[in-house]
Amino acid sequence: MPDDYVWDGSGEPDPEVERLEKILGRLRWERPAPRWPARVIRFPRPVLAIAAGVAMTAAAAWVLTRPAQNTWQVARLQGAPVIGEQRLRGAGRLAVGEWLQTDAGSRAQLQVGQIGHVEIEPNTLLRLVEARWTNHRLALKRGEIHARIYAPPRLFFVETPSATAVDLGCAYDLKVDEAGASMLRVTHGFVSFEWGGRESLVPAGAACVTRPGVGPGTPYYQDASGEFREALARLDFDNGGEPELGVILRESRRRDVLSLWHLLGRTGANDRGRLFDRMAGLVEIPDGVTREAVVALDKEVLRLWWEELGLEESGWWR
Amino acid sequence: MDTIIDFGFVKVTAASETASEVCLVEAARRGDRSAFDGLYRKYARMVHGMLLARAPASEVDDLVQDVFLSAYRRIRTLREAGAFGGWLAMITRHRAYDYHRQYREVVELPDDRSPEAVAAQDAPLAEARQVLAILQTLPQAYRETLVLRLVEGLTGPEIAEQTGLTPASVRVNLHRGMKLLREKLERREAHA
Repeated sequence: MPDDYVWDGSGEPDPEVERLEKILGRLRWERPAPRWPARVIRFPRPVLAIAAGVAMTAAAAWVLTRPAQNTWQVARLQGAPVIGEQRLRGAGRLAVGEWLQTDAGSRAQLQVGQIGHVEIEPNTLLRLVEARWTNHRLALKRGEIHARIYAPPRLFFVETPSATAVDLGCAYDLKVDEAGASMLRVTHGFVSFEWGGRESLVPAGAACVTRPGVGPGTPYYQDASGEFREALARLDFDNGGEPELGVILRESRRRDVLSLWHLLGRTGANDRGRLFDRMAGLVEIPDGVTREAVVALDKEVLRLWWEELGLEESGWWR
Repeated sequence: MDTIIDFGFVKVTAASETASEVCLVEAARRGDRSAFDGLYRKYARMVHGMLLARAPASEVDDLVQDVFLSAYRRIRTLREAGAFGGWLAMITRHRAYDYHRQYREVVELPDDRSPEAVAAQDAPLAEARQVLAILQTLPQAYRETLVLRLVEGLTGPEIAEQTGLTPASVRVNLHRGMKLLREKLERREAHA
């Protein structure tokens, strides 16, 4: 087609179009995003609040009493995945309590009720634990999955031998090895990795490792330096201490405050002071956040600082 | 091979781009500012180009900010997360319309630089504005599509995907718009 170049840039370049692109391209929009204002939450007037309360109660009752959806649809993507003891030829259904297994040559896609889907890579073994409207839950014993969920936070859970991944919306990869250790990589939104009261909040672009008996390690951005990540792993899982913290403080960049913030709750008071000082050198300290309050692990102050870091707006899921 | 799309903080393949955009919109609805940044990165050129086709160039920067602030404040009213591009295009068109309705004469502030310095520094930009002025005399549909293609560097399929126009319409607009633009440029050169 003679107009292919103007259509999608393919084909033989049209010299006139190229000349116009060069001239007019000087006017192209190149500005970065401005800082968006924080949202103001307006509380409803009393009458509206009562009406809203009644409606929400009725809706909640309807959701909770609705018959549970006991099976999820499974589609074969490659090879012959197995549900229970049945080889899957095309599509099938996975019932609560049943195992789905892929071998080295098979892959599958699991429809998570009506809220998303999970792609299951080869050599994976997982079980459907719950299939309720308020609790979509898998247990991943080994292997790798890619989850994509379009739903409010805390409706989809994946239990691994060393932590539970709680979806806060909406895409991540999770891998579990034979020893039960897992690696979570979030590609979009946020995931909370939880075990025994220990919680790691993992935003898009970040990852988090877990080990059986220890739970989730400290989340980190995947583009952090190798030294930073290695020191973090030793600190989390190999009795690391002062030398590792020194490396972490030295190697941390502005966005690595994600990791430093998590370490505040996992280190002693002296180290918390050092972490605060490093963070203060990397990001602006918001009004209301003081060194003393952070070292004392004042929850309200930590929450406020977390929100000001802009990694997410925690109000909607906490 | 799938194209890699870079939202700045997340890279996804084109095959999952639509799903990712739905994720961004859902997160932005919940108040996630970084998700709205992602939407801004994807659509800022579309908004800028659409406004450039409708309003004086000197006003467009402010109008772009207005459009995104308006979308940011109203994103919870968007019914279908997958329809963000078309919805944003509608806000942009309405903002341009409002601008003309409340039209105020634009007074250019005097430039303190010497005429020679102005000429040397602004010559490439002045040339671009001259061509843009000719482009702005084309019918609306051709003008918008050509600005998105030639100024913002979007391809035809990207223009269709972002604005909600059909690919066939975009192709026709590009083809006929280029024909008209060539004629106008030739006439200008003949008179020069």
